[in-house]
Amino acid sequence: MIELNNISKIYQVGEVEVKALDGVSFSCEKGEMISIMGHSGSGKSTMMNILGCLDRPTAGQYSLDGEDVAKLSDDQLAVIRNKKLGFVFQSYNLLPRITALANVELPLIYAGKNHRHTRALEALKATEIDKRSRHLPEEMSGGEKQRVAIARAIVNDPLVILADEPTGNLDSATSHTIMDLFTDLNRRGITIIIVTHEADIAAYTRRTIRVSDGKIIEDRIR
Amino acid sequence: MNVWESFKTAWQSILTNKMRSGLTMLGIVIGVGAVVLLVALGQGFQTNLTTTFNDMGASALYVSTVSSKDVTVIRPLTIDDAEALQDKTLAPSISVVSPTRQTRSTAQYGNNSAAVTVMGITPSISQIRNYQLEQGRFITDQDVSGRASVAVLGYQTAQDLFGSESPLGKSLRVAGVRLQVVGTLQKMGGFGGDSYVLLPLTTMQSKLTGGREVQQIAVKAASPDLVDTVIAEISSILRTRHYISPGAPDDFQITDMREMLSSMEATLAAFSIFMGSVGAISLVVGGIGIMNIMLVSVTERTREIGIRKAIGARRRDILLQFLIEAGVISLTGGMIGLLLSLIGSRLMGNIAIGTETITPEISGTIIIIALTVAIGTGLISGTYPALRAARLDPIESLRHE
Repeated sequence: MIELNNISKIYQVGEVEVKALDGVSFSCEKGEMISIMGHSGSGKSTMMNILGCLDRPTAGQYSLDGEDVAKLSDDQLAVIRNKKLGFVFQSYNLLPRITALANVELPLIYAGKNHRHTRALEALKATEIDKRSRHLPEEMSGGEKQRVAIARAIVNDPLVILADEPTGNLDSATSHTIMDLFTDLNRRGITIIIVTHEADIAAYTRRTIRVSDGKIIEDRIR
Repeated sequence: MNVWESFKTAWQSILTNKMRSGLTMLGIVIGVGAVVLLVALGQGFQTNLTTTFNDMGASALYVSTVSSKDVTVIRPLTIDDAEALQDKTLAPSISVVSPTRQTRSTAQYGNNSAAVTVMGITPSISQIRNYQLEQGRFITDQDVSGRASVAVLGYQTAQDLFGSESPLGKSLRVAGVRLQVVGTLQKMGGFGGDSYVLLPLTTMQSKLTGGREVQQIAVKAASPDLVDTVIAEISSILRTRHYISPGAPDDFQITDMREMLSSMEATLAAFSIFMGSVGAISLVVGGIGIMNIMLVSVTERTREIGIRKAIGARRRDILLQFLIEAGVISLTGGMIGLLLSLIGSRLMGNIAIGTETITPEISGTIIIIALTVAIGTGLISGTYPALRAARLDPIESLRHE
C-alpha cells in the first residue's frame, strides 16, 4: 500500500547541500504497525513529512494506495492528507479555542462530509474521550488531548495513521495507555506508523525501521 | 469546504478574538460613520437651500435695473413700468407683478431701535414670497392706493422693538416717518433674515424716498412652461417704454431664480463630494488598519494554519477563511458605523447655523453605498494577508511557536 522507492530529500542550506534522506526504499502493507526509530537529525522527521504528504521528495517514487504522489501539487496533496492520512503529533496540535468535538469535526469540514457531529462523536467514543467532547483543549490533560488528537486522525477513515513522537510529552503510565489505544486501533485494521526514539514505545510494534544519516540501517520484523 | 463553513469558521475566529476584532472594526466604524454623517449633512444643507429658495419665490423672475457699464443711458424702473406689465393684452402670460423698493434704515419705538430693511411693497408680493402672518393683517390694496402709514413687521424686528409687548396698533418711527403696526410675520429664516419693516410701496415713495422708482419687479408666469414667453413679453414692453432703439442693449436685466438655484445646487453637490472624500480618507485608514491586524493575525495563527493544512485544508480554504473574516469584520464595523451615524444625526436633530437650520438626511442610497464600500474595504485590505496565509508551508507552520 505504501511504496517508497529510492527516495532522496536534499535541502539547500546556503551553499551547502544537506542530504536529509539518501535513497530510502521500503514498503508497507495494509494493517501493519511500524515504528521508525532514529536519533534527532537522522532523517526520520523528513521521512515522516514525505510519508505524510506534507513535503515532496527531491528524487524517487512514492506510491500511496496505488497513486504516485511524489509529483502532486500542494492542493492535491492536501486532499490526499485529508482523505487517506491521519496525523498525531507530539504536541497534540489541537486548535486551542474550539471544543474537542469541533476539533474532531475539522477534517470532515474540509472533506465536505455530512453528519459531522455524529461521526466526530463516534470517533471520540472509539478513543474513549467522548465525555470530554464539550471541553476546550486547555481544560484537558496531555493524555486526554492526545486521545482527542487520535480521534481527529481516525474520524475520516484514513488508510494510515502517522504518529510523530505521540508519547513524547506524556508520562510513562499515560504513554502506555496511548500505545494500547494504537494497538487496539491497529487490530481493527488501521495501518499505523509511529516515529519514536524510545525503545519501549517501539516495542509495541512488530516491525521496526531504524534510520541514521538519511539511510535505513535496519528493517526488522520480530 | 464551502462558503457557509468558511463563514462559520471566520465568525468563530472573530468571536474568540473579541478585543482584536473590535479594534479592527473601530477603523471601519469611524470611517463609515463619518462618510454617512457628512453626506447626510450635505444633503440636509441642500434641502434647506432648496426650501429657502422656494420661500423666496424660485419660480419667479426678477426684473431690475442693469448694472453694466456698457449701457450709457439708463431709465430706472418705475411703478409705472410695473403697471404696464400687468396689461393683459401686451403681457397675457404674466399672472403676478410685484414691484418693490427697499432701503436700509433704523426703526424706533420708545427707547428701542433696530437696524432694518425697509421694503415698499404691494399686496401681490404674498404670491411671490412665502410670508406667513403671525398676528394682525397684511398690507392691502386700500393701504397702497390710500398711501396709508401702516407697517407689517418681520419677526425679529417685532422682537427687537416690542419684546413681549403686542406691537399691534402701536406706532414706530422709520427715518422720522410714523407708521402704525397692523401685522407681524412668522419666523422665516433664509437669507433675508427676519429684520424688516414692510409698508405700502406708495407710502414709501411719497414719504421716505420720493420719486416713482422701484428697485425690482418680481414677475410670475401664469404657468411654469411660459417662463420664456414671459421673458419676451417683459423685454418687449420695457424696451418700448424705455425708448430703446432696436439693436441697443437693454437697460434692465431679468434674473431667473431657477438658474441661480441650479448653480447653487451644483456647488453644494461638489461640497457633498468633498465631505464624502474626507470620510473616504478615514475609510482608507480603516482599511490599512484591517490589513495591519490581519497580517499580525496571520503570523499569530501560523500554527493554526499549519494544523488546518495538515488535516486537509487547501489554499483556497485558508484564503476564503481569512477573506471572509476581513469581510465580516468590515461589514459588522460598517453596520455599527451606520447605526452610530443614524443615532448621531437623530441627536443632532436640527443644527442651527446662523439663521439656518439643517437637518441631516440619511437616504437608502447612502446606506447601500456605505455598506458596499465597507465590505469592499475589508476584502481589498484582507486579500494580501489572506494570500500570505494561504501560501504558508505546512511543515514550517507546524514548527511555529
